[in-house]
Amino acid sequence: MAWTRAASLNEVPEGKALGIEVDGIHIALYNLDGKIYATHGICTHALALLAEGWIEDGKVECPLHQGQFDIRTGKALCAPVTEDLRTYAVRVEGDDILIDPEQPAAETVFGSRPAAAAPAKDASRVVIVGAGQAAAAAIRAMRTAGFNGSIDLVGTEPHLPYERPPLSKEFLLGTAEFSSSVRLSETDAVQLGVRLHLGVAATAIDAAQRQITLANSEVLAYDALLLATGGTPRRLGIPGADLPGVHYLRTIEDAAAIGATLDRAHHVAVIGGGFIGLELASTAISRGVAVTLLEREREIMARIMPAAVGRAFRIMAERHGVDIRRDARVIEITRRGARLGVVTGEDTIEVDAVLVGIGMQPTFDLALQAGCTTTPAGIEVDAQGRTSVPGIWAAGDCALYHEPVAGRRLSLQSWQNAEEQGAAAGRSIAGHNTAVAQKHPWFWTDQFGRNVQMLGIVSAEDHVALAAADEAGPGAIYRMFDKATGRLAGVVAFSNPQAIRAARAELDSATPFDPDIHGAIISSKGQDGADAMEASVMNANPGLSLTKRYIWPADGLTRIPDWVYTDQAIYEREVEKIFHGRTWNYVALEAEVPNSGDFIRSNVGPTPVVVSRAEDGSIHVFENRCAHRAAEFCRELSGNAKEFVCPYHQWSYDLKGNLAGVPFRRGVGGKGGMPADFRNADHGLRRLKVTTHRGVVFASYCDDMEPLADYFTPEIMREFEATFDGRKLKVLGYYRHSLPGNWKLYHENLKDPYHATLLHTFLVTFGLLVAGNKSLMLADPSGRHGVMASAKSDGKAVSSDAKKEMRAYKEGMTLAEPRFMDFVDEFDSPWSVTMATIWPNLIVQREMNTLGVRQIVPTGPHEFIMKWTMFGFEGDTEEMTRHRLRQGNLMGPAGFLGLEDNEAIKFVQDGMQRVPNGEHLVKLDPAVEAGTADNLISEAAIRAMYKHWRAEMGL
Amino acid sequence: MDMALKRNPSSASLVDPRLEAVLLRHEIETFNVRYANALDEQRLADWTEMFTDDATYVILSRENHDRNMPVGLIYCEGKGMIRDRAFALSETAMFAPRYLRHIIGNLDLLGDERDGTIKARANYVVLQVLFDRPDATLHQIGVYYDAFRRENGVLKLADRRCVYDNLLVPNALCLPV
Ligand SMILES: Cc1cc2nc3c(=O)[nH]c(=O)nc-3n(C[C@H](O)[C@H](O)[C@H](O)COP(=O)(O)OP(=O)(O)OC[C@H]3O[C@@H](n4cnc5c(N)ncnc54)[C@H](O)[C@@H]3O)c2cc1C
Ligand code: FES
Ligand SMILES: [Fe+2]
Repeated sequence: MAWTRAASLNEVPEGKALGIEVDGIHIALYNLDGKIYATHGICTHALALLAEGWIEDGKVECPLHQGQFDIRTGKALCAPVTEDLRTYAVRVEGDDILIDPEQPAAETVFGSRPAAAAPAKDASRVVIVGAGQAAAAAIRAMRTAGFNGSIDLVGTEPHLPYERPPLSKEFLLGTAEFSSSVRLSETDAVQLGVRLHLGVAATAIDAAQRQITLANSEVLAYDALLLATGGTPRRLGIPGADLPGVHYLRTIEDAAAIGATLDRAHHVAVIGGGFIGLELASTAISRGVAVTLLEREREIMARIMPAAVGRAFRIMAERHGVDIRRDARVIEITRRGARLGVVTGEDTIEVDAVLVGIGMQPTFDLALQAGCTTTPAGIEVDAQGRTSVPGIWAAGDCALYHEPVAGRRLSLQSWQNAEEQGAAAGRSIAGHNTAVAQKHPWFWTDQFGRNVQMLGIVSAEDHVALAAADEAGPGAIYRMFDKATGRLAGVVAFSNPQAIRAARAELDSATPFDPDIHGAIISSKGQDGADAMEASVMNANPGLSLTKRYIWPADGLTRIPDWVYTDQAIYEREVEKIFHGRTWNYVALEAEVPNSGDFIRSNVGPTPVVVSRAEDGSIHVFENRCAHRAAEFCRELSGNAKEFVCPYHQWSYDLKGNLAGVPFRRGVGGKGGMPADFRNADHGLRRLKVTTHRGVVFASYCDDMEPLADYFTPEIMREFEATFDGRKLKVLGYYRHSLPGNWKLYHENLKDPYHATLLHTFLVTFGLLVAGNKSLMLADPSGRHGVMASAKSDGKAVSSDAKKEMRAYKEGMTLAEPRFMDFVDEFDSPWSVTMATIWPNLIVQREMNTLGVRQIVPTGPHEFIMKWTMFGFEGDTEEMTRHRLRQGNLMGPAGFLGLEDNEAIKFVQDGMQRVPNGEHLVKLDPAVEAGTADNLISEAAIRAMYKHWRAEMGL
Repeated sequence: MDMALKRNPSSASLVDPRLEAVLLRHEIETFNVRYANALDEQRLADWTEMFTDDATYVILSRENHDRNMPVGLIYCEGKGMIRDRAFALSETAMFAPRYLRHIIGNLDLLGDERDGTIKARANYVVLQVLFDRPDATLHQIGVYYDAFRRENGVLKLADRRCVYDNLLVPNALCLPV
């Protein structure tokens, strides 16, 4: 210890900081509400003095890059800082501030310090397993009752016993620190003679020998054993439940992780509408984080309270902006770039983190080992906390309430219950088995600025009476009456502690129900029904107009309703959710913009963009829409430019889309012009994220888009790289055509190998594709991408059976120039033909040797434009190029196959115009619900695409 | 009727070059009219016979043409491929029935080559009528860049490059232009 005088108190006024040097160390001193703290003076990110930073809410913000640290703990709170700041112990003596540069501030340490062992004066030995709140209560009660034997406290967590309610409240809000939650301090442990075994679990029990074995192999003998093992959060049993960013809450570490997450998050999902879920939602909202809360039941809290009370909690949360989805089924959690996707039966909600509060699983494996009677809800105990095995007590969350409630054994899982059961067990262990007057079970929760308390034990079936003007407003009192007896069972009061005080007497006297005092019984049924209706409609189509219903057929994926292809609102949502959503959109080939200044016009969805190569060789994609008055400024199909100048008012942009110049920005003669604070940097063109792979350029509106390889998945990447095999591309020309059909029909056409054998007589006649050919219809795990692949065979191989099946097969037809159908095997692939459908706007065509990318540009529900860029490779011989061109007769808007597909798609769209409320049937190959098919007579890949589409669209 | 047969190329001196030009223009215009008629009536076998054995027939966009990019909607090297195209369209291809009108004008003769090839260009318009719409749509508009040659005295196309201006093809091009 080297306490050194650092400064005098008046040098550090409240809310301010002072930079000093002690022993050559830069130190920053802070005054937070009159208390002095010290941290290292230099930011852990770059050389900047923190004393010059901004101080707010117990945080210091670095003046250089706005990284933030918690002043009390030194914790690095946000980008760009990642490394925690060192803190120093501070002491104030009179007017002097002393610091100890060798000792961190108290708050940085959560862990226990070595325990002082208390000598056992008594023969009686008590071991407590579980160093939580119930344990602390038991220890106090034991000693108060005069027990003077030894107490060994074993706890898995490395911390002294602490209470958990602040973990979802004050601790996350930063209004309380860990130290204030400790229920048994180190001093207490010494004074109460408790030997601490922290950070070590009890692993085995021998009830006959009365011995406990710890994880460190230590064996503790006991005369009395108290199990106070609490529980663990129930986990989601769905794929993705353990992804990083999915949080559960039970311990201080869990809370710290959630706190750190909330620092960075914009939007979180809370799964579970119970107390913990709601408190987390409340905390997040008050920290400025948007919350979507998903509840599986019709109403939140429905399993522990009548729906009418749950409804009040919901209204309170909704008034504070929580988006609550009831009847919500969470199927999976997926990675979406740096974010997570919560896939429900109806929607994929993209969030920064998922906070799960779906209940607690009591921990009672030791009780089972010892042979104690248990139910799935916990260990059975009597009013003194005794289990069915002599010498073993249990208390707190791992134990059941001592008597059945409405015929059921349940565990109360509350702060008060841990105190009461812990104390009762402690007294009983100390030999005091006289019954103490039972307190009414009591529970509180703090959320959305309200303190809600509950007294008594209520159940979901109780009748409810409401006394309040505002059902969720302050003062509201809900009284629950047992259905069978009509007796008052419990009271819930919103910010009304007097009501709870009064309720004690009401419960004691078993007040009969009186509508004049208690308010009318609110029949939950009728309201419930209406609410459920409202909920399912809202959930079915979040954000879509309710006047128009988009209900997917009950048959599921085997039917596709026509509105998917014909509806304007659906189309607009596709642009928003898909083309402008989390997708990589093809925009160009690098070979089209080989030199700096080269540009080409393209589209992302319907939106016109420019793809340009800047002076430094980097490729940029920005909207072709002037930041001034929206003019589509670039009109050439492609070209080379030094800058882009909008013709309307001559605003100019550099090759990266930044605004370079605004004519008369300062006005003329001091008059007119832009406001003085106008900055070019704020008015550039809307720029998209860009990635390239093997010479193919993709763009995305999504800022944290995942890498292309993740987006593709390995299967699709393999096929992509088989075509783009590393050779330099050479563009041979373009086709463009409009197509009077919905854009998705084009994907479907290439996920529909069934049609190939039937529609394309040409293909079949000349042996390019027959039902018996080796083939594959691949779908990636998400279902959005696909590859239709086949290997060429000669027509002779067609069996007569297969021929009969395929009406398209025509005997005896020959080509005058069959060589154009030759396949020069130039790829490392078992397939001679692959058509990769890469969501949402790209088709990679490798039809033997004729190669091309097709870009879908939707223009409305009924039409899209297709741009084909046909290519070969640099180094192709003249003859090879001509071979590719000759083979090109198969494809494109006049191709032997291409024209037929275009016509067929038009026919489909025509067929939907004239029949209202129609549906398509896509039932082929029922063996595969949705996904990859190993045969051609399958629509499984189409179903896979719609599985994805529905999740993205929330339909 | 076929004036070409009556002409004697070796006695060119007897012929007034201006008259020669008028006759040639008439001959090519007549050729183009027949070409249009064959396509309008969808007699694709007859259309095939209007090409020399080594003919090339390509339909490509103005965009590709201007950038020296060779990709064509239809790309035929040799009469065999032209015949295959005709055969496939009439025997295997599935497309909605339609009526077409090919209108060819603004013929411009660009001169003879030594080997007897005649270079020409002409504008063309293709109108298309589908049976369930009242209107004829302008299906394609463009320029033929041609090379004619005589085979056994009969004028045939040795090269026709149809360069179309409407870059966006309406849906599909089901018949030649
Ligand atoms: C976030 C949160 C908010 C809450 N808010 C409220 C509230 O507002 N109001 C309210 O009334 N209640 C609230 N509660 C409930 C209340 O905190 C619990 O009911 C109470 O903590 C139960 O205490 P306990 O001692 O039974 O269990 P715990 O406090 O969980 O202690 C059990 C301890 O035993 C340890 N342990 C388990 N197995 C072993 C083993 N084999 N060997 C050694 N150690 C072991 C565990 O690691 C744990 O430390 C909240 C709970 C949480 C998690
Ligand atoms: S609209 Fe572009 S400069 Fe005015
Ligand atoms: Fe097809």
